[in-house]
Amino acid sequence: MTKADGVVIALALVVLGYLYAAFWSNAKGAEAAILVDGVETQRWPLTQDRRIDITGRMGISQLEIKGGKVRFVASPCSGKQCVHAGRLHRSGEFAACLPNGVSVYVVGSATEFDAINF
Amino acid sequence: MQVEFTPTEEDHRIAKLAALAIGIHVLESAIPSPIPGIKPGLANVITLLTFVLYGWRAAVWVSLLRVVIGSVIVGTFFSPTFMLSLSGACASLVVLVVIAGSGGLGLSPIGLSIVTAMAHMAGQFGVAYALFVPHPALLGLLPVLMTAALLFGAVSGVFTCKVLARLRSP
Repeated sequence: MTKADGVVIALALVVLGYLYAAFWSNAKGAEAAILVDGVETQRWPLTQDRRIDITGRMGISQLEIKGGKVRFVASPCSGKQCVHAGRLHRSGEFAACLPNGVSVYVVGSATEFDAINF
Repeated sequence: MQVEFTPTEEDHRIAKLAALAIGIHVLESAIPSPIPGIKPGLANVITLLTFVLYGWRAAVWVSLLRVVIGSVIVGTFFSPTFMLSLSGACASLVVLVVIAGSGGLGLSPIGLSIVTAMAHMAGQFGVAYALFVPHPALLGLLPVLMTAALLFGAVSGVFTCKVLARLRSP
């Protein structure tokens, strides 16, 4: 180990700190976008808890934003796929009630992959 | 037509060192890796040894021979893996040549190893991002990959120092 090595290691740590700050700070999605019949009608930040009622083709879908996540609480459809989609928080995550024409997805700085194959 | 070719002593030396590096490269390719792009990179020990003992020209030869022949043996020649390996090797060689050009900068093999490992990772990542997965989500991997480069670079550097010490004490 020489002095120059120490400088290299210090610089490397600074670069790493910068990389973590730049690419790991806002990995979570920021907003929930709500679509009715494929058209965005509302957009809410995930930071504030709230309940939202959306009127669709069949009736009212209830959505809830809580603890930085958004979910369908209830929907007038028969399958309840939207409710079973659970709580969404990563950018790009998506839940839809197709019979009622209501869907929600998380909007963030970067969208995530479903899967990566090499 | 017959081509006359008389290998010099340096040719033999480069061939022997490259053979060592290729051996390590092939052995290492058998180690499974949790994330593509992370591996110990111990073949770099030979490149660094060559650089310290015989200069940057020999190091460039050994490194490029290792990447090309190693990939032929492992079976990744001209595959994305090979492209990434080659771009990483080129990036770290550029850094090595720049350091050699400025008189070594007082770096021991440990510092050299860290700098080249991180240059290797950065070059490899740049090509991966530009050619194969041009998606912002890939950038999330960069901090992890660079951290691995720093750690494995330091380990390779320590190995290089140990080997050099053995070679120098009769």
